[in-house]
Amino acid sequence: MQMENIQATLNKGPAVQAAKPTKMRSENVTVHYGAKQALNGINLDVPERQVTALIGPSGCGKSTYLRCLNRMNDTIDGCKVGGKITLDNEDIYDPSIDVVELRARVGMVFQKPNPFPKSIFENVAYGPKIHGLARNKNELDEIVHRSLERAGLLKEVKDRLDEPGTGLSGGQQQRLCIARAIAVSPEVILMDEPCSALDPIATATVEELIDELRENFTIVIVTHSMQQAARVSQVTAMFHLGDLAEVGPTEKMFSNPDDKRTQDYITGRFG
Amino acid sequence: MSDATVTGVPDASPARRDIGIKKRYAAERRFKAYGITAIAIGILFLIALLWSVFSKGYTAFWQTEIHVPITFSEQVLGTPQQAAESQTKLMMANYPQLAREGLVQLLGIDPDDKAAVSAASALISSGVRVQLRDIVLNDLSVIGQTQDVWLFGSSELDSALKGQYDLTVPENRRPISDLQLQYIDKLKSMGALEQRFNWGLFTFGASSRAETAGVGVAIIGSLYMMLIVLALALPIGVAASIYLEEFAPKNKFTDLIEVNINNLAAVPSIVFGLLGLAVFINWFGLPRSAALVGGLVLTLMTLPTIIIATRAALRAVPPSIRWAALGLGASKTQTVFQHVLPLAAPGILTGTIIGLAQALGETAPLLLIGMVAFVADYPASPMDPATALPVQIYMWANEAERAFVERTSGAIIILLGFLALMNLTAIFLRRRFERRW
Repeated sequence: MQMENIQATLNKGPAVQAAKPTKMRSENVTVHYGAKQALNGINLDVPERQVTALIGPSGCGKSTYLRCLNRMNDTIDGCKVGGKITLDNEDIYDPSIDVVELRARVGMVFQKPNPFPKSIFENVAYGPKIHGLARNKNELDEIVHRSLERAGLLKEVKDRLDEPGTGLSGGQQQRLCIARAIAVSPEVILMDEPCSALDPIATATVEELIDELRENFTIVIVTHSMQQAARVSQVTAMFHLGDLAEVGPTEKMFSNPDDKRTQDYITGRFG
Repeated sequence: MSDATVTGVPDASPARRDIGIKKRYAAERRFKAYGITAIAIGILFLIALLWSVFSKGYTAFWQTEIHVPITFSEQVLGTPQQAAESQTKLMMANYPQLAREGLVQLLGIDPDDKAAVSAASALISSGVRVQLRDIVLNDLSVIGQTQDVWLFGSSELDSALKGQYDLTVPENRRPISDLQLQYIDKLKSMGALEQRFNWGLFTFGASSRAETAGVGVAIIGSLYMMLIVLALALPIGVAASIYLEEFAPKNKFTDLIEVNINNLAAVPSIVFGLLGLAVFINWFGLPRSAALVGGLVLTLMTLPTIIIATRAALRAVPPSIRWAALGLGASKTQTVFQHVLPLAAPGILTGTIIGLAQALGETAPLLLIGMVAFVADYPASPMDPATALPVQIYMWANEAERAFVERTSGAIIILLGFLALMNLTAIFLRRRFERRW
């Protein structure tokens, strides 16, 4: 892999320059799976309305970190999270915080598209329904249509909203999952390798979508593809063996990284 | 890396090493042959079993009846006025006499020839007492009239007609005499003998006479028990599985429970019968022979099956569905009941029906709680004495009479029919509700 290639793909959008306020702040976050320590004290600020990419070799803890941000790690037996994570200066691990409410504010899109085996409409409507976001059928319709529109899927599916979501193609399914996530109007969207199961064309569509979503949402994306990190993100964080090796503006990370490990990783020397 | 590969390729293709390809294929063919043999043996035994049951049992669905003109004489029954006042006389009247007189007249036998009369009347089932009484009680106006009635033939007549007796042995060593055989031929030539469909096999209760014995009480008893098992085992089993699979913390204690549930499925059913006897009958004081107790015992027996099937069905739901719901901010309960459970439902239903089918065929525990009983009347509630289909089969299998042998097989056919129906339902439900993701 060549440095020039990655630099050529860098997203040189206007948002790169202006420093944005911090949406989520992590202070000395540690994660233990039983006796094994998976994260060794991560300090990371996620800027508001930017795409933050988490990169690093397999098993470096980037997905584990991502799952701390909406407390999905709570569902794993023997997983212990230490340190402090705040969302708008509120500690999300505080006992007074309701995890259900937190996940409504911090949505998630998974590696493999996982639509419910229900209709396309039901898939998108489920979140607004359980959170009481729609007072009547019309409002619900409105939310579903708007979410599909923002996920760039409406044109393709508007005539078959009652067909099962599982019947769509892989890329469409992943956009359906994104529509489902944004239907509850979250503030942050976490994406765990959202394109790893998609072909290049579907990947390009989803990447464009991520770039558009940046206007309204704070996005944290885990990716194995350096090109993807370069294309869609403004901030990149490099994880290595449970440590945060380096974090900085994406452009700088790919052109002039400070850390030797980052340098080695993005030039393909390991990982 | 790629350079090394290019230079590493030798010019000539290397000589193939002998890795025993022929042997590998031979091993594969051998294994296939073993498999086919195993399946063939299984099918052979199945066919042998079905053949034996059906060839013995199909005749039980037909019952020989005699068409006899019966004179409902006032001498025997009393006048219609008397009957309207009190039914005691009608209940106690000598109905077999009416049948006997009718048959004697039909065959043209001298009523004073005692031997001939008794030989002829042995062709009629003593079940005619109930049969004729019901006709009279239904309609008092038949008194004094003559009516053609299809009377049950005795089990000897039935067996003789079905060719179940060896007629070459000397007369005194077979249950039917030469004189009776003459009468049978005469009745046949008159068209007064007929094999008619044996509805009684499905509707009658226990009886010491084969021709009036049926599995009616057993079917109702089994039905009560199935309903009790379904109403108790399904909710308890599903609730227990959901808790264990989705909510319970994984620790030593839940491990212990899991091991115990799995072991419970392997406990011999007769042990459950002992438990039912000790707990439900001796301690709780529930009635013996009642379908309620049987249902409770079978519930205990079916629970592990349902729990194991339900847990397997829950585990088969991909975790990504749970993540999707949790990630949207659904609570654990919402996730389980709105997403996981509907997807697991076909598996749960299949497991439940298979558990029910198992319970339907269970005999041993029912013997211990006194369901081996002679019950002639339909149980009005699950608290009344009843029997069950497999127990009825067990009881009939102990009877010596030839006519009970075919009825035993007939009852087995009925039981197999119910089991096949339940399994087909399970397959249908699985096909119908199976969803893909």
